[in-house]
Amino acid sequence: MELALVVAVVVIALFFDYTNGFHDAANAIATSVSTRALTPRLALLMSAAMNFLGAFLGTEVAQTVGEGIISTPSGRQGLVIVISALVGAICWNLITWYFGLPSSSSHALIGGVVGSAFVADGASAVLGEGVLGKVLIPAVIAPVLAFVVGAVAINLVYGIVGRERPGPVNRGFRYGQVISGGLLALAHGTNDAQKTMGVITLALIANGNLSADSDVPTWVVICAASAISLGTYVGGWRIIRTMGTRIIKMDAAQGFSAQGAGAAVILASSHFGFPLSTTQVISGGVMGAGAGKRVSAVRWGVAGNIVAAWILTLPCAAAVGALAYGVTRIFGTGAAGPIVVSAIGLGLTAYAFARRYRQGAPVPV
Amino acid sequence: MSALAGSIVDTKALLQTVGYSLLAGIGVTFIFSIAIFGFARFSEMGREDRSPSAVVFGGLAVLATIAFAGAIVLGIIVMTSK
Repeated sequence: MELALVVAVVVIALFFDYTNGFHDAANAIATSVSTRALTPRLALLMSAAMNFLGAFLGTEVAQTVGEGIISTPSGRQGLVIVISALVGAICWNLITWYFGLPSSSSHALIGGVVGSAFVADGASAVLGEGVLGKVLIPAVIAPVLAFVVGAVAINLVYGIVGRERPGPVNRGFRYGQVISGGLLALAHGTNDAQKTMGVITLALIANGNLSADSDVPTWVVICAASAISLGTYVGGWRIIRTMGTRIIKMDAAQGFSAQGAGAAVILASSHFGFPLSTTQVISGGVMGAGAGKRVSAVRWGVAGNIVAAWILTLPCAAAVGALAYGVTRIFGTGAAGPIVVSAIGLGLTAYAFARRYRQGAPVPV
Repeated sequence: MSALAGSIVDTKALLQTVGYSLLAGIGVTFIFSIAIFGFARFSEMGREDRSPSAVVFGGLAVLATIAFAGAIVLGIIVMTSK
């Protein structure tokens, strides 16, 4: 019975990881494609490969998600907590996608973990210090930091090469974007793939397959790396088809500065085990590089969306995770509850996609 | 209050994250801009037959490119060395 639940956790977690790559593919490639630094096909291949490699660069974020957010649960209840958290995160992402609300997959996952653990074992199950120190405060600081780095960097660039002929300068920064875009995809892999590794590790510890202080197993790293990489590749093609003209226009120097800022902040945060919303950090870098050139060129509504996502995502995803756990308990302590909750989540996903297609609107990614 | 915040938040790690991000994000962009500047000037001086200046700017561009590559490699080593 427990083995079936562990397999369910792994499958749902990898599905979450796949959708994360699918959803975030545009972040790493958008500026490289829009400045014609890379062709869409090459940008996509590079992004998928670098996401895969990034997942192997450390496990600090995985350890934070696995051990630093909630007290490690045990037994079947622990597995149910993890499944409820995943279903809650997926459902919240789906709700926000359907209604066009700003969200963060990373914060949804952490919110789901906190909500289901809170309902299962009470407030003592939630490690308040971990949530505040490792998630909430970095969530506020990181996008602002990326904005500052992006703004300072682009001013530095214009100060150094502003009087040179634009031809060679643009060509040079387009070459640079091949590297900065690759680093950004690498950074995305380090932070986002590790969150899934953390959740799977949490389930394995809860089930007694691993001791509480174990490292993340290699097969978990490979599976998470593959899922996010595949999601990036598949999602990217959808983006190229549906979002071709919606990519923000910026020059190559701005693209380089924005990608460099995002990569620097995410890589540094991953090194110290802070699970971030990579989308929010990259948006911060893009806005900083935009504001550095002309403040009015920035779509400040994006900043409003980030603030709204800060306020909404964690508590709402926690509520949905708590609800998912509550529903599983209606069916007792067996496997029926998690199966029903997973089926409801899957059904909602299929219904939302079908309804969107019937309405004729492109699926936003 | 600040002592309480300090006990909850790993201030050292947070400050190091901020420091590394600023250093890496701004530093790498600065070095790469110097490389672009050097190459642009090298190309311009070469066209104007000002060989000594072209050599100086070419050297600057090559050095900055090496420093840029070194910074990227160092970053990857730091990432994987914990």
